[in-house]
Amino acid sequence: MRRLYLQVYLTIVASLILVVLTAGLLWHFGTAFPPFGQQFEVAGEIIAELVPPVEASPQAQQEAIDRLAQRVGADLALFSRTNEPLASAGRPLPPPGRSGRAGGWLRTADGPAIAIPLPDGRRLVARIPARQRPSALMLAAFLGAIALVVALGARPVVRRLTGRLERLQRGVESLGAGDLRARVKVEGRDEVARLAQSFNQAAARIEGLVDAHKMLLANASHELRTPLTRIRLGLELADTPSERKAELERDIAELDQLVDEILLVSRLDATEQLDVREDVDLTALAAEECARYDDCWVQGRPVTVRGDPTLLRRMIRNLVDNAHLHGQPPIEVTVDRQNDQAVLRVSDHGPVIPESARDRLFSMFYRIPGRSGPKGSGLGLALVKQITRRHGGDVAYDSERGSCFAVTLPAV
Amino acid sequence: MGERVLLIEDDSRLAEMVGEYLGKAGFHVVHAENGTRGLALHGREPVDAIILDLMLPDADGLDICRQIRARSDSPILMLTARGDPMDRVVGLEMGADDYLPKPFEPRELLARLRAILRRRHAGPKPDVLRYGRIEIDRGSREVRLDGAPQPLTGYQFALLLALAEHAGRVMSRDALMDLIKGEQMEAFDRSIDVHVSRIRAAIEDDPKKPRRVITVRGMGYVFAKAQD
Repeated sequence: MRRLYLQVYLTIVASLILVVLTAGLLWHFGTAFPPFGQQFEVAGEIIAELVPPVEASPQAQQEAIDRLAQRVGADLALFSRTNEPLASAGRPLPPPGRSGRAGGWLRTADGPAIAIPLPDGRRLVARIPARQRPSALMLAAFLGAIALVVALGARPVVRRLTGRLERLQRGVESLGAGDLRARVKVEGRDEVARLAQSFNQAAARIEGLVDAHKMLLANASHELRTPLTRIRLGLELADTPSERKAELERDIAELDQLVDEILLVSRLDATEQLDVREDVDLTALAAEECARYDDCWVQGRPVTVRGDPTLLRRMIRNLVDNAHLHGQPPIEVTVDRQNDQAVLRVSDHGPVIPESARDRLFSMFYRIPGRSGPKGSGLGLALVKQITRRHGGDVAYDSERGSCFAVTLPAV
Repeated sequence: MGERVLLIEDDSRLAEMVGEYLGKAGFHVVHAENGTRGLALHGREPVDAIILDLMLPDADGLDICRQIRARSDSPILMLTARGDPMDRVVGLEMGADDYLPKPFEPRELLARLRAILRRRHAGPKPDVLRYGRIEIDRGSREVRLDGAPQPLTGYQFALLLALAEHAGRVMSRDALMDLIKGEQMEAFDRSIDVHVSRIRAAIEDDPKKPRRVITVRGMGYVFAKAQD
């Protein structure tokens, strides 16, 4: 089978054929077909031989009908050409109507009857006592049997179709979850198979692009830093006054930091998963980062989180740097545990950030309007947000405690 | 003639500057602009140390590192870029003796180069913990800063070792006491804090602003894990 629509269409057609066959078989073995068509005329010719001719006395006709009724065990009535009752036996029967010579079925109160035209124009109406009508239960069983046969017949076809779709779905899900090597098996030659093929091609392309992106990032880092190294070496080799040299070294460090942050933002954008996951003492990390400044204090208690130590260090460093750059000393870092969450707060004694600016604090290159003073890379807080999210946590500005950033991370 | 250093680096201007800088410090630098040439030069003439760039036009620096290591035990200093996906550990597993991220301080390059040469002369010392410029030698129970031994008592060395072996974790005073209780106490009246001050005087650039052995108020001390 090639086309999906054909499969679906043929499944329906096959189901219908199955219904017809099943119904036919059940009907064949369960009931009998009544005679119809020209058979009525043939029967009329035969019956004409058994009843007296039209000129015979009514009595003779009545006797013949009685005899015949007894023999075949049916209700019988003989009507003239003009529908006058001539003789009858058994329960009363209605006249056959004025439909000419043709025989046919009649609907009576006691069940179906047949009108048989005799060659002389008379008509014999006969009603064979109806068999017991099928009960509701029988009908249900009859339909149930059809349903069961169709259900059993259609199952493997539908299963085969949906089974492939499920495998395709699992492939798409694992790709979405970050497994870029996820591919699905191409089965058959229909639309589902083509979809699987397209998925594989798309996945290969995404994998290629991500690899190229990673390669670009790795190269960019190296290519940008080689000239920075040259500048630094040149500075050392040239006879530069020490004050100017220190200033230029700061510039190089700033540029290096910017390169670092841009590349880190791109790298975090490109990958879903953390490269490294290990137990990290968040308090110790905060203490290390605080030690870089004179007026920074750490308090709280030891809390361990699971994650990438380099990224977590960067997260704390950016928050402390941010407080140092834009806030007022002293900087206080508290690390605490609340239920199963590690909470790290970095607060300073600077003015509280106005509410209107808080929504965009974590956007890249955002600068609070009207604030002068030193300028950072504009990526620090955006990176903090990315890193916390990547570790299953979050960061928010908490104005309840002065100017304070609060990070929550799942604690070990 | 000073010690010979093979520099495998594709950026010829940087190589020239490194050559000049190291030349002033008494080294003789031989430059190879790609991996193939670097391997050929290394096979042809003996060198005392190799400075190897991680990213080369014709080969992966890690591959070159592995190939050099397979045939010689010349000390290798790898140049990487900070934030490279390559973990430091990978480089060291490939047989590099140390690594230095670009952009580096020229003085740091010199210090690291001297350190790997010194270590090579001194023979392998697996029992050494290394954090940046600090070496804690468990074998000789000696701590060195930039290669120079620092005066510490046995008790102070044990305290420093206990801290360094748990680098990156906050250690309470009680936990530290537990770890070093087997050590001979020289003076019972001195608290851990006094010994920590002595350790800082020995290994910190500015003992007043410690960067390696850090106090965490109300909790204890942490030995900074950062390498730089």
